Amino acid sequence: MTTTAGPFGTRLSRRGVTALVGLALLCMGVLALSLMTGSYGLPLTQVWATLTGTPPEEMAATVVFQFRLPRTLVALACGAMLALSGAVLQGLTRNGLADPALLGISQGAALAVVTLIVLFPQAPHGLRPPLAFAGSLIAAGLVQGLASGARGAGPLRLVLAGVGLSAFLSALTSTLLTHGNLQDAQSALGWLSGSVNTAGWDEVRNLGLVALLLIPATVALARPLGPLRFAPEVAQGLGLSLPRSRVGAALLAVAAAAAATAAAGPLGFVGLIAPHMAARLARTGPGLHLALTAVMGALVVASADLIGRTLFAPAQLPAGLVTAVIGVPVFALLLIRGGTNSQP
Amino acid sequence: MKALTWPALTWPALTALAGAVVLAAMWHVSVGARPVALTEVWRALVAPDPALFDHTVVRDLRLPRALSAAAVGAALAVAGALMQAVTRNPLAEPATLGLMAGASSAVVLGIGWFGLAGSAWIPLFAACGSVAAAVMVWGLAGAVPGGTRPLTLILAGSAVATFLGAIDGAVLLLDEEAFRMLRVWMVGTLSGADMDRLGYALPWGAAGMLAALAIARPLTALALGDDTAQGLGLPVARIRAVALLAVVALTAAAVSVAGLLGFVGLVIPHVVRLLAGADYARILPISALAGAAYLTAIDTVARIALAPSEVATGLMTAIIGAPVFLWLVRTRA
Repeated sequence: MTTTAGPFGTRLSRRGVTALVGLALLCMGVLALSLMTGSYGLPLTQVWATLTGTPPEEMAATVVFQFRLPRTLVALACGAMLALSGAVLQGLTRNGLADPALLGISQGAALAVVTLIVLFPQAPHGLRPPLAFAGSLIAAGLVQGLASGARGAGPLRLVLAGVGLSAFLSALTSTLLTHGNLQDAQSALGWLSGSVNTAGWDEVRNLGLVALLLIPATVALARPLGPLRFAPEVAQGLGLSLPRSRVGAALLAVAAAAAATAAAGPLGFVGLIAPHMAARLARTGPGLHLALTAVMGALVVASADLIGRTLFAPAQLPAGLVTAVIGVPVFALLLIRGGTNSQP
Repeated sequence: MKALTWPALTWPALTALAGAVVLAAMWHVSVGARPVALTEVWRALVAPDPALFDHTVVRDLRLPRALSAAAVGAALAVAGALMQAVTRNPLAEPATLGLMAGASSAVVLGIGWFGLAGSAWIPLFAACGSVAAAVMVWGLAGAVPGGTRPLTLILAGSAVATFLGAIDGAVLLLDEEAFRMLRVWMVGTLSGADMDRLGYALPWGAAGMLAALAIARPLTALALGDDTAQGLGLPVARIRAVALLAVVALTAAAVSVAGLLGFVGLVIPHVVRLLAGADYARILPISALAGAAYLTAIDTVARIALAPSEVATGLMTAIIGAPVFLWLVRTRA
């Protein structure tokens, strides 16, 4: 399995590498656009001058470093995390419709974070990511347990269990917000629909740290994930220690979703669409597929944020609304094509 | 049939439930920031004295909300029972199949775009919206291979509801005026229910209820299967059409009063069927009264649970209803 250039091959396909470079360039383009546009417009040259330490005026430095750069970085990182999480979940459940927000995993993180904020307002921000992880882990366990009945966890049953669990957890979260009255309602609604509006360098640091931990882990898991796309028997036939790989991959997916949710709230459908779009761009081995998926997710969320804040400026739409409007039709298309069982 | 062996119990059951509705409504009216004794509530209802402040609070502020809760609960429970019978899908109800999302989207557009606040047109908008959503959901489910399966239909409903919800969210965030008016209504609430709104919705609710009761008997056969119904010489297509119209009217009435209240139409019919058997001539009226009592009680809890702030009613129905949904996904679907 190391030398064959089939679906599991480790040899990088040229098309895949080209796609990866192209997507990365697009990400840079969205980042540049995002730094340029807003109520205080900056031409590209001035953005560059600001980034290299010679801002044309004080205001430019504030706008770029305080607001636009951190939120765009958070959007890129959240997108990459959610996309990775979705790809791993889809591989694990062998369900093309799996997505951390559709399965209630993001909502578990949101509930945990909101509980912390409401009940212990003085708690340090650093507690949020681990708590989000615990909340997502519980939600993931619940949805898996609920879906696996006597007849096994069918793909549709899993998603429906996720829908029910999400409804339950979001209702609890909203109730807590009512009680806590910690933010005005509009910003609470914004966070609950997935938004990087308020993201600052704290979030950038947290997400960056998580990304540094998770990306090597993902690479290490990439090869076991290939065979996991097939039935468990096939994977075992290929000599894979199945339980350990599955648990490792599941923890990875949950951690990635939790980190993203702690920063931006539950952002739906990114984990659903990014792996499928990546697979349409280039059919590659699992490692390159994960890389493509991550960059695709980063591109999707950064673009969604850019669209959400410029389309109806000065009003800002949360990125999560934009991803839902794009994601639901894709979800419908996958349903129609019988995408529940097809693999990226 | 089991149901036919104890028809005698129907009337006592209905009477008991009607009593429960009255009790729940009185509890609803008596609690709050200014508690009013039950005896005083009763006096305010039968012999109001305009000079007494308590009587004004009861009659002008709290009674409209209690009546709205009862009416909406009845409408949603019957709509859910109808949908479960016609689709033979244990998870069907106006919220899970996207009809409520369609109705509320149409209302959001009506208010945000055409400035129709408080107008008699809102139920009509809601009805058109729920028909449009129904067409989308069935169209999507029909396009899915093996789409007649119950889970596919519900998944299509949830996809359509998510999509419409995102659009609603965008419209509301862009229009601060509409946002202020509709913010709480979007998650489903009875706060701010007034007699005007209830009055506009009532004809729709009553029409839907009458249509539902008119097809209750053939519905029992239809719920057993199209073949059974056809074998009995029933006009299956016509019964379906009447049931759908009734569901749309009931959903429109409920949404225009209370917004998105999920899971009421799911929970009540299941509990009722558990206790009352499979005869829809019994299930529908019992569901109506049980739904009325249930939502009135839930709304009371929503008002007092975290006093002085109030939990939106739709959050309470979701906290109770979502586990029932999950249990049904696990066992029935």
